[in-house]
Amino acid sequence: METNKVNADVQASDQVRSPSGVSILWREIVRDKVALVSLILLVLTCLFVYGISFFLKQSEIVTVDLFAIHQAPNEQFLLGTDYGGRDVFGQLIIGTRNSLSIGILVTIISGTVGILLGLISGYFGGHIDNAAMRLVDFFMVLPTLMIVIVFVTIVSDYSIWSFSLIMSSFLWMGIARLIRSKALQERELDYVQASKTLGSSNFKIMFTQVLPNLSSIIIVTMTLNLAANIGIESGLSFLGFGFPESTPSLGTLISYARNPQTLEFRWWIWLPAAILILILMLAINNVGQALKRATDARQRRG
Amino acid sequence: MWKFIVRRLFVTFPQIVLLSIIIFILAQMMPGDALTGLIDPNIDPAAIEQQRERLGLNNPWYVQYADWVKGAVQGDLGQSFRYKMPVTELIEQRMINTFWLSLLTLIFTYVMAIPLGIISGRWNDTWLDRAITGYTYIGFAAPLFITALLMVWIFGFHFGWFPTGGSVAPGLTPGTFEYFMSKLQHLLLPAFSMAVITTVSTVQYLRSEIIDTKQKDFIITARAKGAPESRVYNRHIFRNSLLPIAAFFGYEISGLIGGSVFIETIFAFPGMGKLFLDSVLLRDFSVVSSVVLIFGIAAILGALLSDIILSIVDPRIRIK
Amino acid sequence: MAFLEVKDLQVYFPIKGGFFNRTVGHIKAVDGVSFSLEQGKTYGLVGESGSGKSTTGRAIIGLENVTSGQVLFEGKDITSMKSKTKDLRKDIQMIFQDPYSSLNPKKRVLDIIAEPLRNFENHSKQEEKKQVQDLLELVGLSPESIFKYPHQFSGGQRQRIGVARALALKPKLIIADEPVSALDVSVQAQVLNFMREIQDQLNLTYLLISHDLGIIKHMCDHIGIMYKGRYVEEGTKDEIFTNPHHIYSKRLVAAIPDINPRMREKQYRYRQEVQEEYNQSYNDYFDQEGLAYSLQSISDTHKVALPKRG
Repeated sequence: METNKVNADVQASDQVRSPSGVSILWREIVRDKVALVSLILLVLTCLFVYGISFFLKQSEIVTVDLFAIHQAPNEQFLLGTDYGGRDVFGQLIIGTRNSLSIGILVTIISGTVGILLGLISGYFGGHIDNAAMRLVDFFMVLPTLMIVIVFVTIVSDYSIWSFSLIMSSFLWMGIARLIRSKALQERELDYVQASKTLGSSNFKIMFTQVLPNLSSIIIVTMTLNLAANIGIESGLSFLGFGFPESTPSLGTLISYARNPQTLEFRWWIWLPAAILILILMLAINNVGQALKRATDARQRRG
Repeated sequence: MWKFIVRRLFVTFPQIVLLSIIIFILAQMMPGDALTGLIDPNIDPAAIEQQRERLGLNNPWYVQYADWVKGAVQGDLGQSFRYKMPVTELIEQRMINTFWLSLLTLIFTYVMAIPLGIISGRWNDTWLDRAITGYTYIGFAAPLFITALLMVWIFGFHFGWFPTGGSVAPGLTPGTFEYFMSKLQHLLLPAFSMAVITTVSTVQYLRSEIIDTKQKDFIITARAKGAPESRVYNRHIFRNSLLPIAAFFGYEISGLIGGSVFIETIFAFPGMGKLFLDSVLLRDFSVVSSVVLIFGIAAILGALLSDIILSIVDPRIRIK
Repeated sequence: MAFLEVKDLQVYFPIKGGFFNRTVGHIKAVDGVSFSLEQGKTYGLVGESGSGKSTTGRAIIGLENVTSGQVLFEGKDITSMKSKTKDLRKDIQMIFQDPYSSLNPKKRVLDIIAEPLRNFENHSKQEEKKQVQDLLELVGLSPESIFKYPHQFSGGQRQRIGVARALALKPKLIIADEPVSALDVSVQAQVLNFMREIQDQLNLTYLLISHDLGIIKHMCDHIGIMYKGRYVEEGTKDEIFTNPHHIYSKRLVAAIPDINPRMREKQYRYRQEVQEEYNQSYNDYFDQEGLAYSLQSISDTHKVALPKRG
C-alpha cells in the first residue's frame, strides 16, 4: 500500500521521472541533515580549492625559500612554512586539489574496469563468471599496498597518469564483485529474457537494459570508493610513494610528520592537512552512507 | 565438509603459484640483480660475466624461476646486499616483532569490538548506540596513518605516556621481566592505534547481525515461550552472531599487512613493514620480494583458514 | 506442412556436483516432446509446475538450449540459435508471466514497445512514435501514455503493454507463458478475451502455456498435457475434456470445480471413481521411474501415453 501511495505522489509531481532513480537519492540526502551539510561542505571545498588554485602558481609555491624555513603561522604565511620555506597554506590548497583530482580519476578508472568486468561476469555467468571471480579472489588477497609501492619504484616514466593506472589496477575488485552479484539477479528477471526474444543483442541488453537498473548502486559505490581512494593516495604520498614533492598532495604535507621533530614541534605543517583529510573523508562517507540508505528501501528515512 | 576444504585447497595452491610468479616478474623488472651490491665496481667485466654465469643469472627465466622457488622452499631467499647477510636471517627477528604486533592488534580488536557490537546491537537507537555508531562512522572514514599519527602525537609526545619508537628500550637483557614489560609497552600504542580502525568493521557487522536476528521468527518464538531476555540473547542471538566473527581474523590479515607498513613507519617499530619500506628506499630488492612473498602467502593462508572455519561454523557456505 | 512442428524435443539441465563440479547427471526438463500447431489456432500446454511446459515454450523461442530434437517453423529448421534468422525471430514472439518484472522499470513505455522496432526496422522517430501509439490503441491503452513508466500502470495494463510489445513486429506465432496467472482473477478474463480478439484480427497463432484448466478450456482448440517432461495425452479440446484416457488427465479433469450445486453428488462420485482407478492401475500408466510411456494414437487427433501392447 505504502509504495502505491509513494508512486501516486511521484506521478502527481513528476510525470516523466522514474521513481527509483536519482530523485530518490537526492531526496534522501535532503532529508538527512548531516549528509546535506556534508554535501554543501564538499561543494564549497571543491569550489574554493579549485577556484583559489586557479590563481596560485604551483611552481611558485613549491619553490624553496631558504630565508623562510620552518616559520610558525604569521601574517605572511597563514599556516607557516615547511623545511624548504614553502608556504604551507598554498600547499594545502594545491594538495587538496591534487588529492581530489587523483581520487576522482582513480575512482573513475577503477570503477569503469570493475563495472565492465562485473557486468560481463554476472550477465553471462558460467565459465566466464567463474574465471572472473577467481581472478577477483586472487587480487583481493594480494598485499596490494606493497605491490603498488614496488610498482611505483620500478616504473620508469612516472607521472600522475601512470600513478593512477597503478593504483586503479588494484582497486577494481570490490565494485566488480558487487556489480556482478547485482547483474546475476537482474539477468534472471523477465525483462532481460523479453529483450532476448525481441532480438536485442547481449551487448545491447547489458548496457541499455541492465546497466540503467544498477545506476543507483553504482553512484553509491563510487562515492564511497572516492573517499577510500583519497585515503589510499594520501597514504601512499605519506610513505613517499605517491606524488613527487613538486606536486604536493595532502599526504605529502603529512609526510613531513615522519620527521619526529616536525611531528612534535611543528604541528602547523602536517596537522591542518591531516584534519582536512579527515573532514573530507567523513563528508564524502556521510553522503555515501545516505545514498546507500536510499538504495535500500527498508532503511530509507523519507 | 571435507569436500569443501579440499576444493578450497585446490584454489589456494594456484593462488600461491600465481603470487610467486608475479613477485618473480616484479623482481626481474627491478633494477639490478643479486650481484649488483656484492661486487666492487673496479672488477674486470669478464670476471663479472663469469660470476653471473656461475650464479645462473644468464639462464632462461623459467630456470631462474625454478631455482628461486627451490631456494624459497628451502628457506633460502637470497642475500641482502645492504645488510650483507642472508635475507632469511634478516627477516627472522623482524617477523617475530610483527607477529606480536599483529597478535596484540587482533586481541585489542576483539576485546573492543565484541562488547561494543553487542551493546550497540542489543540496545540499538539508544544514546549509547548512537555514540558507538558515531565512532564507527569516524573510524570507517579515518585513514589508519592519520589516526596513528594523532595517537603518537597526543599520547606519545604530548603526554609522554608511551614510547614513540623502537620495539624495546635499549640496554635491557632479553628474558628479564623488565625486558618483557618494555616490549609490551612498546607494542601497546601501535597495536591500539591499528585496532581502533580494524574494530570498526566487526562492530558494524555484529550490530547489524544482532538487529537482524532480533526480528527473526525463532527469536519471537523464544520470547513467546517465556524465555527470559538474557537467555534469549545469550542462547539464541549471540550464538548466531558471534560464531562467524571467530573466523574473521584470517581475513583481517590482509588489512594488518597493509596497516603494518604505516604503523611500523610511524612508530619506528622494527618489523616487516618497516623493513619492507626501508629496503624499497635502499633498493635492496631481494629483501623486498621476500617480504612481499611472505606477506602474500600469509594473506592467502589467512583467507583459507577463515573460509574453513566459517564453513564449519556456518553450513550454508559449504554449498557454494 | 505444419505451421510449427516440434519433433522429439529434449531439454536437459546438467546437475553439477562431486569434486570438480563436473556434470554428474541431468534433469530431464523436457524429455521427448512432439506436437504441431495449425495456423490461426490456439494450442494449450497444460501441466503442473515442473512439468516442463514453460521450458518447452522457452526452447522453441530460443531462451533455452535444445539438447536434441527439432523445431520446424513453416518447414524451416529453427532449432539452434544460429538458424534463427532475423525474419524468423520477428515471426515468433513471447508474452511473459510476470507483468512486473517483464517490463524494464527504467524505461518509458515508448522505449519498451519500440525496442523490437529499433532492432528490426528502420523508422524515423516520428514513424516509430506513431507505430507505438497505434499499438497502444490496439491493446486498449491511451496513446498519450507513451512517456509514462511501467510502475504507473496496473498489472492488467502492464500485461497489455507486454502484448503490444510482442505484437510490434507483427508476428505469426505468440508463445504466451502463463500470461494471466500473475493477474487478479477479475482482470484475467479481460486480458484473455482481448487476446482472442486480436487473434481474429491479426490471424495469430497462440501457444498458450498454463496450469489453469479453466483458461485452457476457454482459449484452446488443441491441448497437450505434460507430466514430468513428457506428454501424457494430446487431443482436441472436446476429446480431452469429455473423454480423457490417461489416468493423469482424468484426475486433472475431475479436479475442475463445478459451480452447479446440484452436480455436487455426481462430481464427488466421479472423483472417487477416478481415485480408485488411480490407486489400482497406476502401473498401467507409468513406468518404473514414474514417467509416462510414449504416445499411442487412439484416433486421428487423440493420442495417449500407454505402454506398447504386445
